[in-house]
Amino acid sequence: MNDFITVYSGDLMRRIKSRPFIIGLVLGTLAIVALIKLPTMLAPTIVNQGTKILIVADARIAAQARPMLAKTLTVKGVVPAATTINRALLKRFDADSAVSITEVKTGIRVTIFAKNPTSVPSGRVRTALLPLQVQHSTHLTSAQIAAALNANVEVRSLSTKFHSVHQAEAAQGLAMTLVVLLYLLVMVNSQVVMSAVAEEKTSRIAELLVASVDPMVLLAAKVLVGATLSVLQLVVWVGMGIALGSGAGSAGASSAAANPFSLAGLLGNTLSPEVIAAFIVFFILGFLQISTVFAGVASLINRTEDLGSVSGPMIIPMLVGYFIGILAINAPSLPAVIVTSFVPLLSPFVMFARMAVTQVPPWQIGTSIALNVLALWGIAWFAGKLSRVGMMLYGRPPKLGQVWEILRSPS
Amino acid sequence: MLSVEHIQKSFGSVRALRDVSFSIGAGSVFGLLGPNGSGKTTTMRTILNILNPDAGHVTWNGKAIDRVMRRRFGYLPEERGLYGKMAVREQIIYFGRLHGLHEPEAAKRADAWIERLEIGTYALRPAAELSKGNQQKVQIACAALHEPELLILDEPFSGLDPVNADILLAVLLDLKAKGTTLVLSSHQMWQLEQLCTAYCIINNGETRATGTLAELRAAWPTRLVRVGPDSQALRGAAAGLGATIAGSENGDLDLNVPANSDFAAMLRTFVGADSIVKFEVVEPSLHDIYLRAIGAAA
Repeated sequence: MNDFITVYSGDLMRRIKSRPFIIGLVLGTLAIVALIKLPTMLAPTIVNQGTKILIVADARIAAQARPMLAKTLTVKGVVPAATTINRALLKRFDADSAVSITEVKTGIRVTIFAKNPTSVPSGRVRTALLPLQVQHSTHLTSAQIAAALNANVEVRSLSTKFHSVHQAEAAQGLAMTLVVLLYLLVMVNSQVVMSAVAEEKTSRIAELLVASVDPMVLLAAKVLVGATLSVLQLVVWVGMGIALGSGAGSAGASSAAANPFSLAGLLGNTLSPEVIAAFIVFFILGFLQISTVFAGVASLINRTEDLGSVSGPMIIPMLVGYFIGILAINAPSLPAVIVTSFVPLLSPFVMFARMAVTQVPPWQIGTSIALNVLALWGIAWFAGKLSRVGMMLYGRPPKLGQVWEILRSPS
Repeated sequence: MLSVEHIQKSFGSVRALRDVSFSIGAGSVFGLLGPNGSGKTTTMRTILNILNPDAGHVTWNGKAIDRVMRRRFGYLPEERGLYGKMAVREQIIYFGRLHGLHEPEAAKRADAWIERLEIGTYALRPAAELSKGNQQKVQIACAALHEPELLILDEPFSGLDPVNADILLAVLLDLKAKGTTLVLSSHQMWQLEQLCTAYCIINNGETRATGTLAELRAAWPTRLVRVGPDSQALRGAAAGLGATIAGSENGDLDLNVPANSDFAAMLRTFVGADSIVKFEVVEPSLHDIYLRAIGAAA
């Protein structure tokens, strides 16, 4: 135990003081701030892009269309139907596009002349002018049309997890964000552990270390230092997210709901203790499993340049887990999703995603955690065997047959 | 006492150790000799319990070497390694702690070693900034800080300039005086002869010869007799004694004779055959014994 504490504390202090960790922590924090603040700042610009319009129509139609369009767009002016439409005209009215409306037999015809066709709010124009189209094709009164178009749709939740559609949608958004975060944290930090093991081997310090400390203790300390630093990063990042989220919540809880880009709103309103606990548990399980495999394999390589080639195939299970996790957010009840939420290496992503968006039976959560813990034990045995022999193996990288022999050998 | 008994170790199809045995008395300095790839490093790693032998066993004072016992050993591997970004003093303290020293004691000893090895200027600098020779000194401090009962050094003199080699030699003699058992390998026979009290020569993973230099010499089947000046009369007398001529150098005649020859009778025979001014029985050197043991020379 003393060995473990010495290696763990020594390695932890070395890594905390290392430039890559400090830079990663600072950049990650800045990224979180940007992720939360920038969308809120940019949202008005994005939402209002291309919304300044000029109506080109006869006076009667223009009078009918203007109040409809003005509900969701900024009407910069009205010009007669005969006016020539060109960029100079748009520039004169400071408009992004000209909406030409003419009466036809079947209703109205709308043509949009835009400076930038990619930012034309055609959907909003179509929706806004729908009553006018109906009015001209059916000759009903405005009041009749308004009443006919106002279908009263109400969604009542039968889920015990979410009480409203808005809450469920927010949870999906949050789950998506957290699955991405989970993947990034596990992948980045597992690779950091892998690099640390490879560095000790290639710098030949490993032989000095294993002369006094059991390789399994070294491996465990290295992986747990990685876990500690990852949790530290997570606490700083999520703490920053929650702090900014709650700040945004008081500043504008309603604006957060109205703003589809607001991560602050999502974090502040839907990050339940259950989701936080699930995130931490499955992050730790996923990280320990994957970084232990990475560390074991890293003990076999002789050059840090080989890290990329050996880590490539090992990322595949993570990617599969990540993609099924993303799928689980929208379809948590798919049989494939349910099955993979019990498969170690995949389940940290998939089970977490399921838990974030739906009510998972407690026995399934317990079974998944138990299977992951069991798998972790097997992975630790596998990595320990590789490490014990691999750390002393120099020269050509071992072939698969040699790796098999290492696993079968007594040490 | 360290006892290595018939250890064997294979890595896949490669048999690194076929049968290595020797014993080392406590407080002695033991030289492990052998050509590259002979199994020296594997033997050292097996003693340190870094590798488990496939067969045979290693004991220290009659007990199998375990994790706790291993902390009382020190090791300087052939391929040196340090944490490049960690300061020298911090690094020495860290390795002291890995061997069970508490931080204040480790720090005190680290300072003493830094002074002893004349690396005070670099104490607070990252190890990567040091020259290879100075890095090697740091590694020796890391290996010996905890005053190990058994210190194993794989090629400790390689890469050191003569001044630093002398410093290391003095350090090793100091450790020996304090009772540390030393096991070291080197290709520089003269350095080993200065330090070691016993040897083991291994080749192809097998013990070829083991014992003190006197024991190794005793087992040597022939002796070289140098007699001079060279003359036909001397050559005739030598042939009559059954000696074979090994060569002629600086006017002297070198003869190979059986080790158990009666050298007094031989001297009388040569004096009777001619007027001689030199008669010398040359003991085989460690180098000769080594070459013969590994099969490089008869």
